[in-house]
Amino acid sequence: MSEAQEIKQAHAMRSSWHAVAWLGWALAAAMSVQLAPSPVYIAIIVSICALAVETHAVDGPFKRAFPALLALGVIFSLIRVVLAALTTHTGERILFSIPEATLPQLLGGFTLGGTIETGVILDALVAGFTIIGVMAVFGALNAVISHYELVQSAPRAFHEAGIAITVALAFVPSTIESVHAVREADRARTGGRVVRRARSLRLVVPVLERGLERAVSLAESMDSRGFSHGEPARGERIAGWLGLAGLLALAASFVALIGRSTNSAAVFSLCGGALIIAAVAVASRSTARARYRRRRITKADALMVALAWIAPAALGVLTIYGNDTLTWSASPLAWPQVGLLPVIALIPLLAPMVRRPWESVIDSHSNELVTP
Amino acid sequence: MSTVEFRSVTFSYPGAAAGSPSALSGVDLNVAEGEVLLVVGDSGSGKSSLLRCVNGLAPHSTGGTFGGEVIVGGRSTRDHLPRDLADIVGFVHQDPEAQFVVDRVEHDVAFALENLGLDEASMRRRVEEVLDALGIAHLRDRSPATLSGGERQRCAIAGALALAPSVLVLDEPTSQLDPQGADDVLAALSRLNADLGTTVLLAEHRLERAAPIADRAIVMSRGEITDGPDATAAVIGRYPGAPSVTRLGRALGWSELPLTVRDARATATRLGVDLKAPADHRPARGETLRSAKDLRVDISRRRVLHGVSMEIAAGDVIALLGRNGSGKTTLLRALSNLISPTSGEIVGNSSIAYVPQDPGTLLFAPTVRDELAETLRLLGKPRDEGAIDCWLESLGLREVEHRHPRGLSGGERQRVAIAAVAIGGAEVLLLDEPTRGMDAASRAALELCVRSHAERGGAVVLATHDVELAARCATRVTVLGDGEIVAEGDARHVLSGSLFAPQVLRVLPPFLTVEEVEMVIAE
Repeated sequence: MSEAQEIKQAHAMRSSWHAVAWLGWALAAAMSVQLAPSPVYIAIIVSICALAVETHAVDGPFKRAFPALLALGVIFSLIRVVLAALTTHTGERILFSIPEATLPQLLGGFTLGGTIETGVILDALVAGFTIIGVMAVFGALNAVISHYELVQSAPRAFHEAGIAITVALAFVPSTIESVHAVREADRARTGGRVVRRARSLRLVVPVLERGLERAVSLAESMDSRGFSHGEPARGERIAGWLGLAGLLALAASFVALIGRSTNSAAVFSLCGGALIIAAVAVASRSTARARYRRRRITKADALMVALAWIAPAALGVLTIYGNDTLTWSASPLAWPQVGLLPVIALIPLLAPMVRRPWESVIDSHSNELVTP
Repeated sequence: MSTVEFRSVTFSYPGAAAGSPSALSGVDLNVAEGEVLLVVGDSGSGKSSLLRCVNGLAPHSTGGTFGGEVIVGGRSTRDHLPRDLADIVGFVHQDPEAQFVVDRVEHDVAFALENLGLDEASMRRRVEEVLDALGIAHLRDRSPATLSGGERQRCAIAGALALAPSVLVLDEPTSQLDPQGADDVLAALSRLNADLGTTVLLAEHRLERAAPIADRAIVMSRGEITDGPDATAAVIGRYPGAPSVTRLGRALGWSELPLTVRDARATATRLGVDLKAPADHRPARGETLRSAKDLRVDISRRRVLHGVSMEIAAGDVIALLGRNGSGKTTLLRALSNLISPTSGEIVGNSSIAYVPQDPGTLLFAPTVRDELAETLRLLGKPRDEGAIDCWLESLGLREVEHRHPRGLSGGERQRVAIAAVAIGGAEVLLLDEPTRGMDAASRAALELCVRSHAERGGAVVLATHDVELAARCATRVTVLGDGEIVAEGDARHVLSGSLFAPQVLRVLPPFLTVEEVEMVIAE
């Protein structure tokens, strides 16, 4: 094995960009999906996401989850198409008719079935591409970031909750592994034959119990290492009350919204938001907890995000100037058009790919060594 | 001066039936600063409970009733929670997988430091020191999931050591590891003790490796200390589950019992041992029950087995040796038709059953008895109480037949899994790493069962790291290396002169086991 390969292997865990930078990139990509929902542009964005996963993914279960999330996006859009076809009726371009049934008022009172129309199906398909695009961006983000890095960058008040979330995420792959092992053990018991009767019980009980055992020993390990050690500080208690008040105010605004009193809803939601921000600020200030080698956001990270945001900005400008290839409508039906300008506008989304996944690891190390 | 002090400690778990023996009763113990104390005893003897009392996990995290007092570094666990003792006591579990909070070694080591609110500069220094103390600095950027068992366990110890505790408590830290990993972990422990003066409390079943590094030892049984604390050699010398070399010394009537092969060799040379060679009776091999011909297996585009051929005949007990990743488990899975080979074939229509490494994947019934009956039901056979009794008896499970399989100790669970699979009546039994985490009593029951299955005309294949097990019950040994068979044949022939040799063979060739020596002496 060459030295370069060794370095790559040893540092395989580090993404070349800071998790927050990836988050910025993902927001830019998601924004671009919204601004350019024509299937051609969505396909370009999905390819960029796939490229990001291929080159920058942190090895692990979330890398494997990318195709699954993409498939989920396709399934969601297809379900949407079916539901729209069954429930939306304009009376134009009828493809065929099926028997219809009107639901009772209690369940919404709309009509299921009846005329199935080409226009409706195509419109739903067009909207479906947006779902696929957003799922691709979400899947790529999960595959390329270290979730713990994100926790470390979150305000201090969220530290312990964030740890709990990363621990919970870590249970996903181990549970999948358990399921495989238990299925195989079940087959092994009968000499390779699969007995279907009461199989789910035989599979579920061992998986759950293994998970529980793991959780107990993890809890012991965290407890022995001083997790949530010490009394909550005064600031943390104040923050707790502020947060509670904020949530109550938001709930009140929701109630007001249902009661159609828009003004009081606005006041309540403003108060609620302010209280929650105050809670986070107070809690972060009072927790004197330092963090070990928190990865800093470098200039390069900021530059990458800025570059990526050129894409939605440019698309926004094109929208204002009325570039009609950005969206694709099913009526009148025509092939989606491709414009040169929008394609150029999407290029900045490739910004993270200018770095090889592991090169930066070495220089981020040296960076951290010189920063106090 | 003692760092850890038990004053008549009594403890029982919540929900323990009235009248059943408590997990700990009347334990008095003083552990001196800087010593290594070894805790031995069968599963369920109270070792884990004793260790969990040191940092207050029992009773604060387990619940249950607690009497007496445990004083650690001047603090009583009565009014200090485990997290408040984190700076004095580090705790390491037997399962290396379930102790990581963060998916990067370096940050996981720093986890305890962040919790106790150290400043950044001291954290940085502590982490570097701890990484070096355990020799894992090169693993700092890795995810624990990508490490081997031994590496993982050393990282877990680093996590427990980060706060520079004066006491380190380890509950069977090597029981889930292969011999190489176990050696690495114990070597690291002994270095820590020598360099930093860390007091170590260690529970272990594998005494071959653990006993030589311990200063003193205690034996536990039914919640009480039945022997010690006393010098390790003395306590282990009296302990029935002692390592083979110690039992060899006992059989030969040596006054000073050895703990290591090195000591035993020295004594043997000094005193001279004159025994006639053991009778070399090779049991005849019966008809071939199943054979593999030129088996090649690929798993996710990587070739794991490169043309393996083997024959399993009636009366065989085949030990499959080889380091981790050499293809032992894959071969067993291919033999039992759980995976299909890329090329080559498996011949023979005898029935076959496979017991996976982790018995937890198999067990789900409410009692041990039902667990066995379940297999019969799955195979469409009538519930045969006689057969169930017979298997419970042969694996020594009669005492626990009405208990929940999940509530048993690791060794007992493994035996339940074996009984639950074997009761199906398969002629060929494939056992994957059956002695992992087993105590001496469980191991003896397993060996007996394996031998009697072979004598009845069946065959057993054991994939194992445990050469002592291979020496005691295998008729044939197959050594796998990188997916190929590197040695194959009669057990004594293959084991002698290999690095895999069991302890007795290294001291007194050509004897394989203490039992053989005892038999020759008796003649």
